[in-house]
Amino acid sequence: MKVSIDVDRCQGHGRCYEVAPDVFTDDDRGRGEVIMADVPAEFEAQVLLAVSACPEKAITIS
Amino acid sequence: MADYGQGGAAAALSPEQEAQIKAWTYERSNDPRGFYERLRAKCPVDFETHQSAATGSAGTITAAALSRADIEEVLRNTDVFSSEMPLMGSQEPVIPLGVDPPLHSMYRRVLDPLFSPKKMAILQPKVADAVNEMIDAFIANGEVDFSAEIAVPLPCLMFLELLGLPGAELADMVRWKDIMIRPEIVAGSAEAGMALQAQTAGEIYGRFGAEMEKRRNAPTDDLISYFMSVTVEDGRNLTDSEILRILFLLLAAGLDTVTISLQAIFNYLAAHPEAQQLIHDDPDQIDNVIEELLRWETPVQTLSRIAKVDTELSGCPIAAGTNVIAALASGNVNEEYPETLTVDLTRGDKAHLSFGGGNHRCLGSHLARMELRTVLREWHKRIPFYSIKPGTNIEWVASSLRGIDYLPLVWTSEKG
Repeated sequence: MKVSIDVDRCQGHGRCYEVAPDVFTDDDRGRGEVIMADVPAEFEAQVLLAVSACPEKAITIS
Repeated sequence: MADYGQGGAAAALSPEQEAQIKAWTYERSNDPRGFYERLRAKCPVDFETHQSAATGSAGTITAAALSRADIEEVLRNTDVFSSEMPLMGSQEPVIPLGVDPPLHSMYRRVLDPLFSPKKMAILQPKVADAVNEMIDAFIANGEVDFSAEIAVPLPCLMFLELLGLPGAELADMVRWKDIMIRPEIVAGSAEAGMALQAQTAGEIYGRFGAEMEKRRNAPTDDLISYFMSVTVEDGRNLTDSEILRILFLLLAAGLDTVTISLQAIFNYLAAHPEAQQLIHDDPDQIDNVIEELLRWETPVQTLSRIAKVDTELSGCPIAAGTNVIAALASGNVNEEYPETLTVDLTRGDKAHLSFGGGNHRCLGSHLARMELRTVLREWHKRIPFYSIKPGTNIEWVASSLRGIDYLPLVWTSEKG
């Protein structure tokens, strides 16, 4: 699984790095950053949680 | 921020109109989920009920977006839905809530880092200490008015801490934020409320102006001094007017919102022993519990915008100049998404709109979350099981900011 954040959509709600801290982190403004762009199978559940927790629908997986 | 108590010149309302507004805002505060379900059954956009509360905008149309998709459109499409409107008695646009992009983006670049999760983590021990001190004062009594002893003072104290103002200013802060947020209730009528609000806004600007003067030659380690020295992107400093309009908004938007969230969450928990048991057995669930109850209760029920151009929502025409209300509460609990119709305290995956969305996403959301989590954690460590005092009739404040002024809790067992 590959994951990315649409920086134009992200508004810094902070849900992704809270529910998936192995995959995302926060920048100085509190916006999400991907730290694991290629997601191994054991972290995929975290990513799916982040996708559905993001109020801006800013996370894309492929 | 709220649909009530907002706008420019006060429109005179007849006693009948005032009574009508009181009736439906009361109904909404007591039963927001039923209230919005009934409105959605009539039309996806409400042109009737919310219209009557647009006290400051006589002659204009108000439309409330009720579907999740329409609410998101209103919040995100800033080319069509503007935030530039008078707010809470302030003569000039408050910053950043009353400003559109691109200027808005410039302000948020300065403000976001001050309220980031990392910054809030530094403040967290002070919140924990404050909560424990408050609990020390009443734990032996076996009962407390949660609103008066925690929900109201805690966010105000933390605001004073951030701004570098003495704790002795607490009483003024509480009075000011009440007048800003629900002037019609403090003053007794919508019209008197507007006048009181405008007068109080002037008072607040004056007080913050005096604090800036004190710091002009003797900067201190707080947000006021920071705003006075920070450089924005074109290399200039913020003007005094900009700083005052930021401080005004921090006061008006940052205090009552945490207060009412605490009230709504503790009211729910006190009535649900199984939720208290869940937190007792697994305190790590506190974050999920808070997110779910912020969604379910939606303390800030609505946000406001103005349509800049003719547009439409769910096929309903919206004329330029229409006050457009994003009914967050309607988006959060909505039969379009059946899973939102029940409470599930352990699920962490529900995207909710309780902090708004789009580029005006609540600036203080990370402060609010940190305060809410800290209060729940510290309270439940010491008072794990409690209930609403028998015989209490819980009364929700009839405002789009939905709180409970009197919330007496009782307990028998205590730890520490």
